[in-house]
Amino acid sequence: MHALQQQYWSIRDYLSPVLKESKFKEHGRITPEEFVAAGDFLVYKFPVWSWEKGDPSKARDFLPADKQYLVTRGVPCLRRASSLAYTDAEEDAERLLTFDDSGPSDGDEWVETHAGRKSNMDASNPGEIKDIPDDGHQDDLTSGMGGLSVDEVPGEIPDMDDIPDMEEEDLEAGDEATAAPKTSNVIDASQVEVASGNLLQVRTYDVMITYDKYYQTPRSWLLGYDENRTPLTPAQIFQDVSADHAQKTVTIEPFPHHSSLQAASVHPCKHASVMKKVIERMNNSVIAEQLAQQQKAASSPKESKKKWPFSRKSGGSKDAGTPTGEDEEVEGMRVDFYLVVFLKFIASIVPTIEVDSTTAF
Amino acid sequence: MAPTIVQFAPLPSQTHPSFWHKLTELKLDVLKLSDAEVDIIGSYGVGKLIKDREGGPGAYVGVTGSLSVEEQSFGQGHPPSISNIAAKGTVKNYNTIEEFKAADKTKLFNEAADKIWTSVQTTKSTSLLNSFLLITFADLKKYKYYYWFAFPAFVSTPAWHIDSDAGWSSVSAPNSGLAHNQLTSIHDQLSKSSKSLPYFLVRSSDPEVAEIVPVEQYDPQTDSSSAIGFIDPSAQAQNPGWPLRNLLAYLRALHPNISVAKVLCWRDAEVAKEVGEWKSRIGLLTVGDGSTPTEVKAASTRPNAVGWEKNVQGKLGPRMADLAPMMDPARLANQAV
Repeated sequence: MHALQQQYWSIRDYLSPVLKESKFKEHGRITPEEFVAAGDFLVYKFPVWSWEKGDPSKARDFLPADKQYLVTRGVPCLRRASSLAYTDAEEDAERLLTFDDSGPSDGDEWVETHAGRKSNMDASNPGEIKDIPDDGHQDDLTSGMGGLSVDEVPGEIPDMDDIPDMEEEDLEAGDEATAAPKTSNVIDASQVEVASGNLLQVRTYDVMITYDKYYQTPRSWLLGYDENRTPLTPAQIFQDVSADHAQKTVTIEPFPHHSSLQAASVHPCKHASVMKKVIERMNNSVIAEQLAQQQKAASSPKESKKKWPFSRKSGGSKDAGTPTGEDEEVEGMRVDFYLVVFLKFIASIVPTIEVDSTTAF
Repeated sequence: MAPTIVQFAPLPSQTHPSFWHKLTELKLDVLKLSDAEVDIIGSYGVGKLIKDREGGPGAYVGVTGSLSVEEQSFGQGHPPSISNIAAKGTVKNYNTIEEFKAADKTKLFNEAADKIWTSVQTTKSTSLLNSFLLITFADLKKYKYYYWFAFPAFVSTPAWHIDSDAGWSSVSAPNSGLAHNQLTSIHDQLSKSSKSLPYFLVRSSDPEVAEIVPVEQYDPQTDSSSAIGFIDPSAQAQNPGWPLRNLLAYLRALHPNISVAKVLCWRDAEVAKEVGEWKSRIGLLTVGDGSTPTEVKAASTRPNAVGWEKNVQGKLGPRMADLAPMMDPARLANQAV
């Protein structure tokens, strides 16, 4: 059934046209050009990200050959999202939030569960994603994913019984200059005991961002490794996805730029609407900031340089031709910033994976 | 003032699932029954210190950089950067688990170590210093991959020591000899370099800038105060990473009279936001503990080498990657319906 569905998705993806017109502020979707521009900005600002060309036979022709998707490797994940222990106090700290300050109206509120904790910025918990898309297989899929038990984790340590006689301690004599894996001043994560008594098992993730032609949004993919750097199973990956999303929006799919790789993916069906809301919110504050800076710039011209990064010239975006200078019109948030915002959104789905290195903003 | 032996943090390996996919492809379509060695390119980056948001202020968790191999390892590798230092290696895939078990590992390891040593002696180049060896057996029916990495490193006799009181200190410390601007300029040069620079020499005559030159240009006459830098995958405060071992061996092989070395362990992937937040470390190493005069050994004989990676249990043994949950069509279908 799933294979059929994937077939259906790939045909739907093939038939859907490439988005040409920039509308990211209106509906949260972006064009491939804007994806590249936003990606360039991300790579420029945060060098941990880089462009990849992927498998040439899987290249999408609406993206430059050497800029097919974005990747960052070895993203640390200190704790399991499923093991984040919430105390009663923290549960009381849940707040119902809404984007619209005029009052709750059309069900746009969402619960902020981390109210008591320090949040990186307002946009870090942008809402809840409820459904799997429109294609009628919803029930099968959710019940299928629901049947997956996250608790049934196979042993963390691979079973070595298959190769019993292969320990060769005499292969090497002891070497005094080799650091023992456990020494006193090691801050190696696997030995750090945290206050809650949880033993830290630092996993690392490779995070990829591709462009989804059908949903016209970026789509994120996760490949995980445990503390011994062996690949994680799907069930183990779900431990790092916040409980609201693990059974619904995160699934294991074939990675589109590779012939046979499977990776966990956050389904993009609601990305556009969530991004739209976050962008609207941010846009307002950015405009306010820009206005303030423009006024300042009027009095002291040198201040205008501070407007970067919001006013940075972007390569392929529509409004690249806007004249710069003192009398520049206030344009609000640039599309370059899209992926930075997107990362904050992803960070709310996988709260313990430190994908969001952009806390400076 | 008691010198202690410098202990190096072993380099952990990381195999990307795409590496096994590619190896499977290669095995079925190209290698078939051949178990010839295949050249690959791995990569490693600097060790990272991650702020633990739940561990209170100032709580950091170190994540050691690992040598990773992936699909691109069979081709050109990645474009070089501080996070992608290229390391040449060979992979030898056995046809059966019995052959994998019976492989003459001592011989393979010695060959790999010899290759590094010969290149040091003949070409005086550092290009093979971080090379590695990988033996594998792919159980294609069960999607299980047995593998064992070796990172040959020469044992220095007498060993390198560091003053136990001074130890390795942060480059942000005022007495590190490197100012903020110099560190920024080192970072700029490392990140802008078009080729991978696992080892480098820092010449800092000017208090504002520091010049980076390939370590091959080391001149014992003029470089006595220069720092010898390397991209350090270790994240442990008092243990430099594995690649330093061969760098020191290289320097002693070509300049047998070296008895003191100022070593810069470069651990900053990004420019520090504040003056005091550089993560790189610096230390002054001496040969021997000073109790016995260092004897100058004939530089042509290859020192002993160590470097088989330990398995998950900390024993010398192979590791296994079980990709069935991610590759087996039956199991994928099962959880996806």
